[in-house]
Amino acid sequence: MRLLIFLGLAGTLVDTAGAQGTAVLYGVVTDTLGAPLRATVRAGDGETAADAQGRYRLHLAPGRVAVRVNHLGFAALVDTVVVVAGDSLERDYHLQAAVVELQPTIVTAAKHSQLLDQSVTSVALVSDTDLARRAVSTVDEAVNKAPGVLFLSGQVNIRGSSGFVEGLGSRVLLLVDGVPANQGDRGGIDWDMVPVADVDHAEVVKGAGSALYGSAALGGVVNLITHDIPVGFHGRLRATGGAYANPPYDAWQFRDYTGGLGGVDATGSYGTETLRGSLTLGGRHSDGYREQDRSNQWETAGRAQWLPAPGTRVTASGAWTSHQYQNFPTWCVPGACDTRGQAFQPFMIDNSGRGSYTRSNKGYVAATLDRTSSPSFAWQVRGSWLRTHFTDANPDDWSVANRLGAELRGVLHAGGGDDRVFTVGVEAGHTGVTSDIFGDSGHVGDRTEIEIAPFLEAEQRLGRLRVTAGARLDHVSVDGSGRATVPSPRIGAVLPSAFGTWRASAGRGFRAPTLAERFVTTRAFGFQVVPNPGLRPETAWSFEIGNSGAFASWGRVDAALFWTEARELMEPTFIVVDTTPEIQIRNVSRARLRGLDASIVVTPVPALSATIAYVYLDTRDLTRDTVLSFRPRHVLTLSSDYRWRSLSVGADFRYTSRIERIELEEIFGQDPRVAARVLDLRAGWQQGPLSARILVTNALNYIYNFVPRTLEPVRTISVVATWTY
Amino acid sequence: MIAGMPSRVARAALAAAAAALLACDEGLHPITCSGICGTVTFAGAVPESTQAVYIVAYHTFPRSRDSLFNFQPPLPSLHALPLGGVPTLYNIPVEPGRYEWVLAVWVKQGFNLTNADSTLRETGYYRDPADTSQPGAVTVAGGPADTINFIVDFAHMHPPCHYYNPPCP
Repeated sequence: MRLLIFLGLAGTLVDTAGAQGTAVLYGVVTDTLGAPLRATVRAGDGETAADAQGRYRLHLAPGRVAVRVNHLGFAALVDTVVVVAGDSLERDYHLQAAVVELQPTIVTAAKHSQLLDQSVTSVALVSDTDLARRAVSTVDEAVNKAPGVLFLSGQVNIRGSSGFVEGLGSRVLLLVDGVPANQGDRGGIDWDMVPVADVDHAEVVKGAGSALYGSAALGGVVNLITHDIPVGFHGRLRATGGAYANPPYDAWQFRDYTGGLGGVDATGSYGTETLRGSLTLGGRHSDGYREQDRSNQWETAGRAQWLPAPGTRVTASGAWTSHQYQNFPTWCVPGACDTRGQAFQPFMIDNSGRGSYTRSNKGYVAATLDRTSSPSFAWQVRGSWLRTHFTDANPDDWSVANRLGAELRGVLHAGGGDDRVFTVGVEAGHTGVTSDIFGDSGHVGDRTEIEIAPFLEAEQRLGRLRVTAGARLDHVSVDGSGRATVPSPRIGAVLPSAFGTWRASAGRGFRAPTLAERFVTTRAFGFQVVPNPGLRPETAWSFEIGNSGAFASWGRVDAALFWTEARELMEPTFIVVDTTPEIQIRNVSRARLRGLDASIVVTPVPALSATIAYVYLDTRDLTRDTVLSFRPRHVLTLSSDYRWRSLSVGADFRYTSRIERIELEEIFGQDPRVAARVLDLRAGWQQGPLSARILVTNALNYIYNFVPRTLEPVRTISVVATWTY
Repeated sequence: MIAGMPSRVARAALAAAAAALLACDEGLHPITCSGICGTVTFAGAVPESTQAVYIVAYHTFPRSRDSLFNFQPPLPSLHALPLGGVPTLYNIPVEPGRYEWVLAVWVKQGFNLTNADSTLRETGYYRDPADTSQPGAVTVAGGPADTINFIVDFAHMHPPCHYYNPPCP
């Protein structure tokens, strides 16, 4: 009987598909005993949920498509099918009971869609579930808890890659849906560029990624993947309110009221089979947890998609954020304010920084054309414009940076399968900066940087072994003259085995000096900072060997040993000019970073999950024969969540060992430094379209700092209410 | 619990979490002093040519020009004293050790490393409580040296070479 029903259904579908020029995939999802499952089926751009009888159907662009079937409590199932325009294909799926989801799909590690276990480098995922549980307000909060990731006063580190360099340059590349988003002038990351409401999940690729992504990917890549726009009308309204704890000691009190924070954001989207669009608007205010720490932020983001033909997608997206915030450069020590007899006042500002604030406007627009030409070949062309504009008061500086980017990329699955895959492309960028600080020795000036980089990577299956090799050649010129041509090769291999999947890779990364690092002229810590136009790119070789897999039906482990040898690192250095000490960014160091990055996920019962993640970092500045600054040796993260009906509770605990060495040790070396022990608690309730969450970050109100004289956030209680349509 | 899950894994995780939580009272605390601290009291009129006044400490008494800049804390960590006239708390973050001379240094406008003898002045120092005509030694070991109080007297300043061996004329 079921067969007859499906034969009839298939006939109807063939007619429909033929009329629209699309293909149809349909079938039934059951467990291994034949009981129907209301599973989620994703393929290409489409997604649907099976009905109560387990039946599903999907309209697809013709070609080769990866199908992924998920259901809570069952192992995800991945299938690859080839569908033809006007045709239909029946596929029934039988899911195995399991409590650990396996084989997520990623898009960042190889610049094309692949299974997580096919990646030759380590990748950490911040899932939509993680984002929902933590109900974070900013993107950096979401990424911070990923294994191997640590933020130091807002600066991201992947396995200790960046340390802390006062925002001048990041050794991690930020992508938004694959579009590079590091600042054009300073090379740092504006984590408030994209509203967190728009982010679906994040992929964190660890180790040198320059073979595909070029400069800034020296230590890794963070790719923020925004939500798909579903068919029909959908909306979401989210309101947040909360309060900061007061200082835990009377000697540190600095205001006679409790600081608050709050915000609201709304997202609306509408989609048809061919046209889709979404818009997000939001605003936030914070009193801050320290003196002179208020901030206001307005943000908007939008996206439009046009699917004019099967296998063709045109996407235009953009975001704009205006953020005004007071600055807290350093806390106060005797002689710098009224410390009330204290050796330091972590909540009070050094008088020299009083009145300091920043107005930071930033945004991007991007357009992409994705085309699947045949079952074996797909290509993408992309253009983007990224603009940042900041104006500082005390010291009074400003900079406007415009970065135009473009990329043409093709992915060829030779023979239509996964056995041999080629990814080839060329990426180009033009950055223009007008500034009084990065311009012309303290005067307003213009700077221009142009990059062009072809790249190629090939993947070949040899039995069970999958080998990857590729390279990228970056040419960077500044103000019209050639500066550097840097090759970045990478090789790697993946080998599935009875003891999990083994991976190994060796790759070269580099980071070209930013225009800010070359030309900055300002004052910091009472010293003149002078330009160094002759800076050279810093480079690193990264090696990694790792293993991931399920060690039981209730647990999964991922562990990697990594080793990075870096040369020509750019660091702020004291120099003496005419008997006057000054600060200049110089190529000074050879450095070594090596260690262990491991995580274990256990789900002893379906409602309970827990993660243990640990990073051991052994670093050495081989030039000075000291440990590298701003690299904690141990970072341990424990997370657990439990769900009971519509209620959920969870917690994160992170231990970060005391930072052994800091930059500018001569100035701040005697300041107190402690290990960090931070506990975050959360509870949630969800009923239909409504949900509410209460979050207590730094619940123990543990007082600590990573960066000299800069206090990390105190206990913050916030309530988040969300209505979803 | 899933059968087969080693209970020792759960116990180890709980023990690690408990140990970490129990250690959570070790964050930053108020500290009334670190290194050497105390109060300076001002006397005399502040010269118009004043650039700044700093407090520094020498492990050994500087008897020559060569040892003039062998003081703690290092140059970048120096904080100028506020010269408002009222007694002022100071704190210099120095390494543990014994310091023979803790003094206030007046810096004249136009100072650089080559004209130090003419632009620097000793303008007061911590004195030995038993013999106030002599500098008092200060030891920083296992904790701060506090109440290292003395007078900054702008009417009685001496150039560095006053303390050299032999002293300047």
